[in-house]
Amino acid sequence: MTPWIEFAQRMTRRAFFKSTGLAAGRIALATLMLPELLRGADKLQARAHPGLPGLPHFKPRARHLIYLFMNGAPSQIDLWDYKPRLQELYDTELPDSVRQGQRLTTMTSGQKRFPVAPSIFKFARHGKSGIWVSELLPYTAQVVDELAVIKTVHTEAINHDPAATYLLTGSQIPGRPSLGAWISYGLGSESENLPAFVVMTPRWSSKRDAQALYQRLWGSGFLPARYQGVPLRAVGDPVLFLNNPGGVDAAARRTMLDGLARLNQMAYERSGDPEIQTRIAQYEMAFRLQTSIPELTDLENEPRSVLDLYGPEVTVPGTFAASCLLARRLVERGVRVVQILHREWDTHENLPRDLSLQCRDIDRACRGLILDLKQRGLLEETLVVWGGEFGRTVYCQGELTRTNYGRDHHPRCFTMWMAGGGVRGGLVYGETDDFSYNIVRDPVHIRDLNATILYCMGIDHRRLTYRFQGLDQRLTGTEEARVIHGILS
Amino acid sequence: MSAADWSLFLGRFHPLLVHLPIGLVIALVFLELVATFRPRRAVVRAAAGPLLVLLVPTTLAAALCGWLLAAPGGYDAALLQKHRFTGLAVAVLTCLMALAHSLRRSGLYRFFLVACCAVLVPASHYGGSLTHGRDYLTRYAPAWWKAWLGPRPSAAADVGPASTDPAAFDIYLHGIQPVFDRYCVSCHGSEKARGGLRLDHAAGLWIGGDSGPAIAPGQPDASLLLQRMRLPLDHDDHMPPEGKPQPEPADLDLLAWWIGAGAPTNRTLAELTPPEPIRQRLLRTSVSTSREAAPGTPAQAAAPLPSAESLRPRIEALVAELGIAITPLASEDPWLQVNAAVAGPRFTDAALGRLAAELGPHIRWLDLSGTAITDAGLAALAAMPRLERLQLDRTGITDAGLAALRGLAELESLNLYGTAITETGLTVLAELPRLRRLYLWQTRVRPEAVQALQQARTQRPELQAWQRELEQLQARLEQARLTVELGTEPDPPLPAPGVPINTICPVSDKLADPTRTVWHEGQLVAFCCTNCIAAFQKDPARYTPRLAQLANPPPGQLGKLPANRNCPVSGQPAKPEVTAVHGGRLIAFCCTDCRAKFLADPARYLARLDPPP
Repeated sequence: MTPWIEFAQRMTRRAFFKSTGLAAGRIALATLMLPELLRGADKLQARAHPGLPGLPHFKPRARHLIYLFMNGAPSQIDLWDYKPRLQELYDTELPDSVRQGQRLTTMTSGQKRFPVAPSIFKFARHGKSGIWVSELLPYTAQVVDELAVIKTVHTEAINHDPAATYLLTGSQIPGRPSLGAWISYGLGSESENLPAFVVMTPRWSSKRDAQALYQRLWGSGFLPARYQGVPLRAVGDPVLFLNNPGGVDAAARRTMLDGLARLNQMAYERSGDPEIQTRIAQYEMAFRLQTSIPELTDLENEPRSVLDLYGPEVTVPGTFAASCLLARRLVERGVRVVQILHREWDTHENLPRDLSLQCRDIDRACRGLILDLKQRGLLEETLVVWGGEFGRTVYCQGELTRTNYGRDHHPRCFTMWMAGGGVRGGLVYGETDDFSYNIVRDPVHIRDLNATILYCMGIDHRRLTYRFQGLDQRLTGTEEARVIHGILS
Repeated sequence: MSAADWSLFLGRFHPLLVHLPIGLVIALVFLELVATFRPRRAVVRAAAGPLLVLLVPTTLAAALCGWLLAAPGGYDAALLQKHRFTGLAVAVLTCLMALAHSLRRSGLYRFFLVACCAVLVPASHYGGSLTHGRDYLTRYAPAWWKAWLGPRPSAAADVGPASTDPAAFDIYLHGIQPVFDRYCVSCHGSEKARGGLRLDHAAGLWIGGDSGPAIAPGQPDASLLLQRMRLPLDHDDHMPPEGKPQPEPADLDLLAWWIGAGAPTNRTLAELTPPEPIRQRLLRTSVSTSREAAPGTPAQAAAPLPSAESLRPRIEALVAELGIAITPLASEDPWLQVNAAVAGPRFTDAALGRLAAELGPHIRWLDLSGTAITDAGLAALAAMPRLERLQLDRTGITDAGLAALRGLAELESLNLYGTAITETGLTVLAELPRLRRLYLWQTRVRPEAVQALQQARTQRPELQAWQRELEQLQARLEQARLTVELGTEPDPPLPAPGVPINTICPVSDKLADPTRTVWHEGQLVAFCCTNCIAAFQKDPARYTPRLAQLANPPPGQLGKLPANRNCPVSGQPAKPEVTAVHGGRLIAFCCTDCRAKFLADPARYLARLDPPP
């Protein structure tokens, strides 16, 4: 095939308009500001990507975000939303006036009865604020004065995949950028040697078969791919191929990468495809990760007292505790967003045992993370968010006994907490009815939650937009979202 | 619609109509000039006729609308009087012009035209001043022009220069009114009084506007003024409106204190003793607002800083040179956040010096954690008087360096963890007026010294007075409370979901598998593999010390034992996670099927229960 034919075949209508359009724009720009443009391009590659001009929109309350996502939906009734009156209603039918024809999942829509299953776990008041916390979270309960517990988060999705996608990307339909990608797109990275957005998926203790996680929960959607989250592996090396292959030293690797970058740059100049810039940036990042990741994961200098905060499994890579410690170390090194996705909170059956095991995975480490951030002065500039994609039903799924029960998905209310940067600690926001089924006061839609998170980071959710498919797209979508000022300090 | 509504409606057309006669008068002047220098002047002059036909009715309509617009008030009376007089003069002159023209008295017509122009200029200017403010036109004029115009009359000029002498410092005039002057008076002043509210003099606060008095002396939180200013920025009722310059939190604190003190308008700093941060703010307010003062005074230093966006080239150069991150704190403010921690030990005293020299007054947040900064380098902080947040943790600084923080009057958060700081250094910090958060983990400061520092900050007389007041209120609350005793019900027996006491295997120190468990001394212990279980069971004593270290306190009653080892239905070993409560005892089964069988007919299987392990 001659090069000319090859060119002609590749030059589709779309590619033609894309490349000529970009070329015209480049010529116009270059005539205006040629030297600055060229110098600017060099700098951009050498340094971590800066934020957008005009951001932050307002003075940020937090510079970093640590998102502890409990995939599978923890039971709010057994952890945070204390409903003592349910004890008297054990095994009675859930009143229709409460359910109000609520759409049910196929897991329980065939059930003949919807018996009320009160929590078997004891609750107690904790801290100066006297917030009720379940005995399953004895450690988290000790830092409850740092938390803003939001009991009235709600969503429309009733199944895991759409609900998690909704919470973390703002839409039930796949294809949107994740919260972390939006933040790193808007605010940029401060660290040269680590990605702006890091993801960890630690192991879990309850039943083996967990809901799948998928890349879109930390993906960049229609934003350039460089803003997506970089997952650290839970098992083995956190990043693969960190070491140079035999016979290749760092200098040789550098020369090779420089050559590759020149080739990629040529390809970029020919096609103008921004994904090539992403590729160049990713190679550079990978090179720097070769030194920054071993330094990050080397816990040699962490004193015993700090490790103990997170619990005994902190030294085992891939545990939730180890991930929390890494999250602190990442934030300390300038990483903008850390997202930890802990799996299998989906307690359809055997809730007492499974939930206990899940809580044991995270409880001590959550407290450890907050205390460790606090003693280092990082908590005042780091926002910590905890929660799942929806809640769980007050009625029992499957067999109800005094010792065992299960709970189905419940989107109408669930509990999340926030701590740190700009959030008022020791606060309960919102109120649910006696069945933890409907919201009585101060509902917080997950859009409101996302708007609030962006607000804490100094971003106006209405103004951080990206044009795609003819719309100025934004994390909170087209429906109204409001910042929850009531939980802010 | 009532007559008053009509008058309001029509009045608004004044600005719309008024520009038409102005244009026509200019056109007439132009025609007259052309006629003077061109032949066939009669033809050119004749063209003025139709223009005059248009001019007279529009002038009269504009004047009428203007009269209606002014009727409800809200304007500076003196300025309005001037505008009304000159505007009417223009209307009369245009009529005279039309009359002279129709009588073909061209000399007289020219006289009236010149007179009309002469009156039109001040009339328009007064009109513009009514709408946009007196100094609108010349606010950004070159300095020489302003000097030629002479000093602008301002409130500050009337009250005389602010003095730092407490006996001569008038709290209201020198400290409070300047805040209103800066943020409020452009809309709530003598020229324009939005919502009927004027904040250019003290009486305006008491008189208030359409929504009532602006302040409730002694009750800051009940004062409409503060309520509106404290609303979130994006709230519709927030004042000043979004997009206008916003007061800093310290300004709100200042106003709150002043209203709380009864909003005195005739007290000096010597008579009232405000808390130190308020005092500092009062003095600062007076300095930064007397910007109309002659050049060379300290007021120059308080000139508004350029916005962070405009610093972009300088920022980018510094970022490239020093390898640090510099970001605007908020896009429209002049403030910056600087993260030098990402450069680590590569960031030295020299780099801090460069940073301070280039961007010093703009820096609000400065993160120097883990950098190579030393005591000597901290002197550069003197060039960053607006620092609010400063991280010096894990650096080589000592007590000697902290002296450089003395001037940081706005510092709120200071991080010193992991440094060689001792309590000697803390004395400097006691004087920082706004310091709220201090991080001293891993330093040599003893808890007693910290307590002393905290006390030094809270044991001020006014704070103690508040404390006493609070306690009295608390006591009254307590008195209103009713305690009811209902007796204690016994706790219902708690089930055990079968959660092991440990997460790490006591034999291998690897992560334990919660399904590989054995009962040991009444506790469920988890292991990583069956080999370790075997090892443990062979010699439990060897591993129990390690197990004691690893055991997390079981939450509540979790970890309680089932009454049996083997399933009462099948006889197979029971799984600790499959349990039921019967007769106050927790019973374990091998599978859920067996549990269902048991629950259907407990009596049949009870006899088969083996003794507790």
